[in-house]
Amino acid sequence: MNPAIDRSYNPVAQFFQLVSMHLRMFRGQVAFIMMIQCVLSLGLVFGFGYLVPNISDTTAIFLVTGTATQALVTVGLVMLPQFLSEAKQEGRLDYFLTLPISREAYLLTQTVVVAVLSLPGIAFSLLIGALHYNISLSIDPTFALVVVLTIFSLAGLGVAMAIVSPHLQVTNALTQLIIFYVLFFAPVLMPKDQLPSWLAHVSVVMPPTYAADAVRGSLTGLPGTHLARSLWVLTGFGAFSLALSAFMVRRRG
Amino acid sequence: MGLVNAAPVLAVRDLRKQYRGGTLANAGISLSLEAGEVYGLLGPNGAGKTTLVRQVLGLLRPTSGNILVDGVDVVANPGFSRRTIGFLPQGQFDLQSIHVDELIFSVACLRGLARGEARRRTEDLLEQLDLTAFRSTSMHAASGGIRRMAGFAAAIAGDARLLVLDEPTNDVDPIRRQLLWNTIADLGRRGTTVLLVTHNLAEAERVINRLAIIDGGRILREGTPASLRSVVTEQLHLDLILAGDVATHPALLADPSGPGRYLFDQRDLAPVSAWLTSLREDGLLLDFRIGPPTLDDIYAVSVGQKIELEVVA
Repeated sequence: MNPAIDRSYNPVAQFFQLVSMHLRMFRGQVAFIMMIQCVLSLGLVFGFGYLVPNISDTTAIFLVTGTATQALVTVGLVMLPQFLSEAKQEGRLDYFLTLPISREAYLLTQTVVVAVLSLPGIAFSLLIGALHYNISLSIDPTFALVVVLTIFSLAGLGVAMAIVSPHLQVTNALTQLIIFYVLFFAPVLMPKDQLPSWLAHVSVVMPPTYAADAVRGSLTGLPGTHLARSLWVLTGFGAFSLALSAFMVRRRG
Repeated sequence: MGLVNAAPVLAVRDLRKQYRGGTLANAGISLSLEAGEVYGLLGPNGAGKTTLVRQVLGLLRPTSGNILVDGVDVVANPGFSRRTIGFLPQGQFDLQSIHVDELIFSVACLRGLARGEARRRTEDLLEQLDLTAFRSTSMHAASGGIRRMAGFAAAIAGDARLLVLDEPTNDVDPIRRQLLWNTIADLGRRGTTVLLVTHNLAEAERVINRLAIIDGGRILREGTPASLRSVVTEQLHLDLILAGDVATHPALLADPSGPGRYLFDQRDLAPVSAWLTSLREDGLLLDFRIGPPTLDDIYAVSVGQKIELEVVA
């Protein structure tokens, strides 16, 4: 009677099918977006260098790792909400939400696609930054964990932002504020003690603080970083973030 | 199997949807679709059709009322809705650079077909809907009509038990439109239930088993095309193209379904014919056609307030 009911709907297979579908949907733009991400990251690494004369080793480490952190934060809090808002505006979100696919598989697809577009830029800027400022980065396997935790601890907020936002332009404006905060008002590209005390207090509850600390801790082992603590805090944010996105995507108006 | 599933494929009961802003988009809609039925949903813009469809698909939560698909409460279990319903949304859904064949194949896979089966199904549908020449065209670059045909192919690729098609023929060329109607009629004959939202009554009429005319979030009329036609059964329909400004015959009543369209009482056929003949002799008549009332007439009469049938009778 209803053949569609007896079929198996494997969320893992769906996830790979959705990723393949999305890469095909954006086949014309993948290379371009990757290149732009490389240029942006590279621009930050060099640009801040011009802004600050006589860069010390510590400052250089903050610049290079801070740029990578900024790019990681951008994945979940800027690119993902923009990507989803665009999908909402162009009718894609509703189209996919009427297919018999797991909501988690759909959101994971969006996150992974956005991450795939950004990761080459991040790797590139770390490499070039380290060579340019002559700092040694240790490729610690923990860094992979930091990347995943940072992206997922913020992705849920990004999803919530896209679903609540009435329009792509509103999402874009919000994401610009977020970038602004991360670049100039958070202990990401600079040490916490350079911030006014109220911003230092605010930073305690902001995920980018812990992402930056974990990136520095895993890549440079810079004294004063608390890698283990940051990883735990990011895990906590991640759990909250996933619960939030699962709730938001099931919400029906 | 052997069990007869007695429940309607789609049963909507007293459905009300009030948006947060206060707009009452559905004000108590009830309808019931049996297996293999092609059911037309007609109504002007803002009548509440899309709101109804979005609730059936589980994208919106009703304020009150029930929606049952195969007897399953899909307000509580929207996943069941999505497995059972193939959907073609209205207007644009921009799927960017994915190719026509990739879309059909991917959706078939997501609808649970094994890859080999999905591949065969894709080839069959490309052939059946005359899309083979466009298989590698990206959805973004395809013309509106090809995009809708591809979306239609994707909607039917997974053997959905219930199809919800929102304006399937928009932008589609006449030959493919024919193909599309034939396919819908064929799906109906093979037991697929179709909820068809359309404005194209003249064409849809041939495949629709029953229809509802809705406006203001309510069903104004419901029935088979034949039973609805009885609303204006005493009347005839006249399409008229005149050369210049000519006063129309007093028996003619402007039909709100379009300019140059009129309804008149069939007892006035003789005087109207005489009037048309005189116009023709004066060279003022470019074209005319007299026929029974169309669904467009019934729709216009049901929705429009301007026509008072009683005046004619």
